Amino acid sequence: MSLIEIEDLTFSYASQQHEPALRNLSCTIEQGSFVGITGLAEAGKSTCCRLIAGYIPHFFHGEFSGRVNVAGTDTRETTIGELAERVGFVFENPFDQLTGASLTVLEEAAFALENMGLAREEIRLRAEKSLSQVGMEDLMDRHPQQLSGGQSQRLALASILAVKPEVFILDEPTSQLDPLGVEEVFDVITDMHSRGNTLIVVSQDLDHLAIHADRLVVIDRGEIKWDGEPREVLLEAAEARYPILIPDVLEISRKLRAAGRIPSNSPVPLTVEQAATVLSSIDERGSAAQPIDSGRTSRHSKVESSKELVFEDVHYDYPTGVSAIRGVSLSLDEGCVCIVGQNGAGKTTFAKHLNGLLRPTRGRVLVRGKDTREYRVAELAREVGLAFQNPDDQLFRSTVEEEVRFGPDNVGASPE
Amino acid sequence: MFDYRPGDSPVHLLNPVTKLAVAVGLTVIVFLLPNPWGPALIVVTLLGVAAVAGFPGSVAKLAAVLTGPLLIAVVIVQGLFYPGNETPLLAVGPVTFWEEGVSYGLLVFFRVLVVVCAILIMVFSTYPKAMMVAFIDKGLSPKLAYVFMASLQFVPEMQRRARAIIEAQQARGLDLEANLWRRFQALLTMMIPLLAGALISVETRSLALEARGFSRVGMRNYLIEVPDRTTDRVIRWSMAAIVVLVALWRIVL
Repeated sequence: MSLIEIEDLTFSYASQQHEPALRNLSCTIEQGSFVGITGLAEAGKSTCCRLIAGYIPHFFHGEFSGRVNVAGTDTRETTIGELAERVGFVFENPFDQLTGASLTVLEEAAFALENMGLAREEIRLRAEKSLSQVGMEDLMDRHPQQLSGGQSQRLALASILAVKPEVFILDEPTSQLDPLGVEEVFDVITDMHSRGNTLIVVSQDLDHLAIHADRLVVIDRGEIKWDGEPREVLLEAAEARYPILIPDVLEISRKLRAAGRIPSNSPVPLTVEQAATVLSSIDERGSAAQPIDSGRTSRHSKVESSKELVFEDVHYDYPTGVSAIRGVSLSLDEGCVCIVGQNGAGKTTFAKHLNGLLRPTRGRVLVRGKDTREYRVAELAREVGLAFQNPDDQLFRSTVEEEVRFGPDNVGASPE
Repeated sequence: MFDYRPGDSPVHLLNPVTKLAVAVGLTVIVFLLPNPWGPALIVVTLLGVAAVAGFPGSVAKLAAVLTGPLLIAVVIVQGLFYPGNETPLLAVGPVTFWEEGVSYGLLVFFRVLVVVCAILIMVFSTYPKAMMVAFIDKGLSPKLAYVFMASLQFVPEMQRRARAIIEAQQARGLDLEANLWRRFQALLTMMIPLLAGALISVETRSLALEARGFSRVGMRNYLIEVPDRTTDRVIRWSMAAIVVLVALWRIVL
């Protein structure tokens, strides 16, 4: 018998009764496997996970037909709490899923164990061990609200690991994380799989999922569209021009194979390393790559005060004493400029200087010749548009039209 | 400002329930005492306790900030207008301060000061999780205890979210430095995403809590141990006895 069995499952949420989120879905998942689930938005991926964890029908109500069995138990005949000891769930938002009632990382990891009524010493040992599994042993005394997104997501994983469930479900665990956070979380996921855990990971990040998963399921409008070995599923999706983010390596390799540049009898590479191995066997050499010299790689670019945006020896110290920007001098004009850097590098602090949300503690910022220290944010908003990361914090109105009008109304634009 | 100050003083080692019992007991006593001398003496004693715990300055400063305006207001108002005023204390031109009113004003002030100092000592010397565990040990529902703990973090979390929303609105031209009406409008505009975001996070959080066995029925245990020693029991019973004695004294006399 499989660890998870879903049989002919159809489910409609109470709020959308005429539009089933899942339709006649059947699949099984074996113990120790790593199943990746992907698909378009609203395809039914999260609904599938909620069924396995018992959130449907115990938390989200609606029309339910079919059967879901986890380790021999029908999920309708148990409770979320009982299932939680078998099925661990990590949510998309790294911050909202923390309990909000723990003052240290260790307490957060121990929360579920406390509810299980284990002996105090066992609670401590299991919480410490799970934190060490996710590489957070040095952060045990830190307040959970002081963690980065990647660290919070790892803490959520540690909290679930401590319970030792049979199945781990991770619903878009990296969608709100920066590249470093994504790597941190996938490192932990890979390690968990190598220890024999059963993993179900929903993600749009197929670069990572395709490499690590044993099996990839593509859900489309509540039905399974493809289900199989990730490489084969992605090749079929690419051939069908299905709108998911096919990893660049696989897409390039597929086209090279179609053009006869790489052998068709070897598997299409999924990783950069595999691609390098395959490509190194090609006899015909192309022209030697030349180093790119755009003339823009110097550490201190020349500042031209006539440019649209000018930073002159800008420093910014937060009231907490953290020095986020130190002596930045640059000028920007037309074109697309990307600002990259790790968490805490000062990217957001830099961006908030562009429209005066932050004003330099030393130096000055000029926006089209206006010193940001002398203008209100509302005045600078006419010159600089700034969009933030979380859409939930940026939408205020009840209709799309009102939302779009919000900015122009504020800056006093004419109705036309 | 109201954060726990770590330490291993005898005050820190007391069970949180004992500290709460003392705070409640003192509150009852100061409202039974008829003149300001008793409450003033208790304030001095409490500052001594704060010194033993290692944070006399923090308690004194915060208590002064919290009760200072009350001292000025209540002594002036009662000194001038207390109904039982009979004995002039000080005359400044046509204005006379009366002894009975000033005495009553000081009584009110010291009563409040005792309550504030007792609560500050309890808060500064008690790790919040230890307080939660101690109350659960005494029969408080774990769900109520969770609400208490979560409420401690609710304000900073909402502040963080509100800041993000305001910055997004400012980036779209909302002028927060304009007149009061615009600021009021900005506040209303902020409430929609703030409340919507809070509701969304409540759904995720309640599911996350369920997933960690929060609704599980049966015995629970806690990472930290909060002992209830003989000293705690002696202090609690003594406090109860003192309250009864003071009440009897006030009834008889």
